Amino acid sequence: MKGNPNRQIGICATVLFGACAIVGCGGVSANSPPATTAARASDVDDVSAGLMEHHRHHHHGGVTLIIALSLDTLGVSPEQRTAVEKIRSDLHARMEPARAAEQELVTMLADGLAAGNLDAASADAAVAQVAAAAAKVHDASADALNELHAVLTPPERAALVDKVEAHWAVWQTANSEETDARNPARGKLAMLATDLGLTPDQVDRIRARLGEGMKTVPRLDLQEISTHLRAFGDAFRRDKFDARMLTTANGANAHLASWGAAHLAHFIEAVSPVLTPDQRARFAQRLREHAAHAPSDGGNP
Amino acid sequence: MSQVSRIGMLRRLACAIGVSAALVASAGCGLEVGAVYPGMGYSDYPPDEYIATTEPVYFDGRATYWYGGRWNYRDGGRWNHYDREPPGLYQRRMQSPPVRRTYEARGGRAVAAPHRR
Repeated sequence: MKGNPNRQIGICATVLFGACAIVGCGGVSANSPPATTAARASDVDDVSAGLMEHHRHHHHGGVTLIIALSLDTLGVSPEQRTAVEKIRSDLHARMEPARAAEQELVTMLADGLAAGNLDAASADAAVAQVAAAAAKVHDASADALNELHAVLTPPERAALVDKVEAHWAVWQTANSEETDARNPARGKLAMLATDLGLTPDQVDRIRARLGEGMKTVPRLDLQEISTHLRAFGDAFRRDKFDARMLTTANGANAHLASWGAAHLAHFIEAVSPVLTPDQRARFAQRLREHAAHAPSDGGNP
Repeated sequence: MSQVSRIGMLRRLACAIGVSAALVASAGCGLEVGAVYPGMGYSDYPPDEYIATTEPVYFDGRATYWYGGRWNYRDGGRWNHYDREPPGLYQRRMQSPPVRRTYEARGGRAVAAPHRR
């Protein structure tokens, strides 16, 4: 076969170029196996269980605690990280009186549980301390929240609001059975049954005691908290923000923290007489571990 | 048809195919938002516990989350996702996996440090 060699080279070059273009583009489409894979359901379950456990036991700062937790995974730029970390530390510092009050309550309950001599009056006084300290958290944190708004970009502010709403949704799931008056403490009781190896008879007796004992725990108004969160989210997304204008914050923080404290105290008072000494000791140890856990640890804003 | 004519026609056909392929492929590469995602994704959007524990990647003016084999983002009051992976997010995904925060291990013990998956 004869022909113009230049023309043949041109044809080959054109075909090769087309083939390479297709392969090249296809190479982007069919990426090599990714270094990261989609989060597997089991991974999500593990992390979710840990977060639920956290939201069952830590209520001291109310909504402000949820905001501070949301900073843990905000993913800000390296240039912002130092400033956001300082604000996160400031928020936890402003919540410290409430955290210490909650820790004192839990430690007192753990000691009384282990010794088999819970003092209801002292527990009620400790619950009141938690509520009083939580009621002051927002006013103490307002300047830090304003500083946070100034440091973040609009997309980061929106992401923070998304995270706050997500934490609140998880909180409600974690505590839903406890907030449902028709089904008191079923979730916590189920976990306790597993952890301590309760017998069916013990579970039934505890359930009967909880039905009566929980009637004295003030009902948590979820709508009140949701309304405050909506107000916070709407305000924080705007270009101008002043945390001191959030008039629903102090009430929401106090109610959330005091409900958590009162619920835990009454739960332990209800279950303690039914447990064996060994079960009480193990439950008390679990409570001390929660009391010693500082939510300000770790995080990577 | 003579052999010379057939060869000429084949050459023109090959040339046309090559040029067309090059044009289509080049245009496709230039105009597509991104690449097809590798593997099959879930049909669900990220659940609350995933949003609460995972660092987003900021892209195109919004927080995006790699979940279910695709990039998801908030679009007003609901979730949406990129149908094709934007090159910028693909590069980010190759550089580092999503950072997740574990608060407490099963059984109640605290695990404070964030970790990468």
